[in-house]
Amino acid sequence: MTFLDYLSQEWVELVILGRISFLIVLYAVLAATAVSVLVGIALYTNRFTPESWSRTARKGSQDTLLVASALALTVPSLALFGLLQKWVGLGATITIAALVIYGIYPILRNVVAGLNAVDPAVLEAAKGVGMGAVRRMIRVQLPLAWPVILSGLRVATLILIAIHVVGGAFGTPGYPDLLVDGLAGYGTPGGLYAVVSAVIGCVVIALVFELVFLLVKRLTTPRGIRV
Amino acid sequence: MSEAVDSVSVDEGRGGGPRTMISLQQVSKTYPKAEAPAVRELTMDVPEGDIVMLIGPSGCGKTTTLKMMNRLIEPTGGRIVLDGDDVTDVNADELRRRIGYVIQQVGLFPHLTIAANIAVVPKMLGWDRNRTAKRVDELLHLVGMEPGQYRDRYPRQLSGGQAQRVGVARGLAADPPLMLMDEPFGAIDPITRERLQDEFAGLQQQVRKTICFVTHDLTEAVKLGDKIAVFGPGGTLEQYDTPDEVLTRPANEFVAEFVGSGAAVRRLSLLELARLELDEVVISTGGAPAGNHPVVALDDAGRPERWLSVPGTDQPPPLVTVPLTGTVYDAVDVMLDAGVPLVAVVDGDGESRGALRWQTLIGDLRAKRRRP
Repeated sequence: MTFLDYLSQEWVELVILGRISFLIVLYAVLAATAVSVLVGIALYTNRFTPESWSRTARKGSQDTLLVASALALTVPSLALFGLLQKWVGLGATITIAALVIYGIYPILRNVVAGLNAVDPAVLEAAKGVGMGAVRRMIRVQLPLAWPVILSGLRVATLILIAIHVVGGAFGTPGYPDLLVDGLAGYGTPGGLYAVVSAVIGCVVIALVFELVFLLVKRLTTPRGIRV
Repeated sequence: MSEAVDSVSVDEGRGGGPRTMISLQQVSKTYPKAEAPAVRELTMDVPEGDIVMLIGPSGCGKTTTLKMMNRLIEPTGGRIVLDGDDVTDVNADELRRRIGYVIQQVGLFPHLTIAANIAVVPKMLGWDRNRTAKRVDELLHLVGMEPGQYRDRYPRQLSGGQAQRVGVARGLAADPPLMLMDEPFGAIDPITRERLQDEFAGLQQQVRKTICFVTHDLTEAVKLGDKIAVFGPGGTLEQYDTPDEVLTRPANEFVAEFVGSGAAVRRLSLLELARLELDEVVISTGGAPAGNHPVVALDDAGRPERWLSVPGTDQPPPLVTVPLTGTVYDAVDVMLDAGVPLVAVVDGDGESRGALRWQTLIGDLRAKRRRP
């Protein structure tokens, strides 16, 4: 059996697995985005420090908190999955939970960077015409920070696609499962083909996400700030 | 010389006792951790319909004062009364929607169209779509931008001058009685700035807003202001009076030094030619020179073409003109530029209304009584 034979025989199955993997990553990215935007806004607006602190100290603490959230990325994935197993069990859930943790930093960093990059003159004008803090955030700051946030989402997605296959060792369906199966039967042609298919599948998912992001960017970036 | 002559004075007020639009009463601001207050017990009334220019050296508290009026900076003491209401403790966002605000960096919302930028405040106030759209077009017209052409553009497609026109339109959108302007033309190149100032003066003729205007440019303050508030170090008000008074009678040493040695020249830009007793000009009928007056020849359209004779000169100088709407400053500028001792003053149709001579300028400059 050649690889092409394998593909023609298994392609329906591969597409189904791909859909599962795609959704796992998608849910994780969405959840990480929600968390990051909320935490990012909080970090940007009050920096989790008292207002009486000096500007430098508050900026410093903002950076420190960002670095702290980066530490999550340095936890070895196997270790993190192992720890999570205690609380969330096996299957798709554990992978989604782990991916959310890994996804937060790249998105959060861009949320804060995007908000910091909003022109202070625009903010002053917004205040000056009588926009309250919430309206300012929703109508002005988030739309202007959005392109930067979106590029954080793209980076996060690529990282998460790469990491999600680790879930195979913890019973996650989709390409993770296919990969682990393939590795178990590595000596056989079928095992090798499964591994290669899983890898190609991940690349395809990444491409699909890129297309989705292209579309989302096109549709959600206000015309006035499109480059 | 049949008209009554009075001394050259520029501001005669606007007749009647104008209402006070905004009143600062003993207002102070001390920043946290600062030892001295940035603004110290400032009391100042801004009459309705006037442009008040806040001026002073950097760090004198003029911008702080302006920003306390719409409470972008919260005062640490005193009261602020807007149009009879004490607004020191009202909701700041709602207060700001009642006050136009224009800043030096313009701060247009880059993700919104020009129309949406102007419509920001009306939208917050809940105006309906039609009313808002009509108002936007009206304002674009007012600031000299064709609505059909600019309505749907984005801020990045505008030049600096156009952006600030839109900034002014945004400030005027909900027709606020009071406008605060923080060096609105400060970041614009000198040529465009002068044009914007002229347009702004014309605009104010139409809208008659009460305007507080921060500037560091004395020429601008003299040109646009009905009153000038000179701030000194430590946030104190050193003098608050008409431009003419500030220039001719500085209240103290500080103001005198701030106004500086150029005061006499600056005053020239306060004197409008239309308000001066101009030198009489004789229009040539082909006859002999007429006594002590310059004689001018007209072209076919009835406009001055050249001097035939000018008393005190053997060879008549080339003829230069200045519009009646200009100021003495413009006339002097033209005279120096052309190297001539007199300039013909023409009206909108280009017809002669008289002349201004160098001797008159340094000698006996007289203003007509302002026409009612």
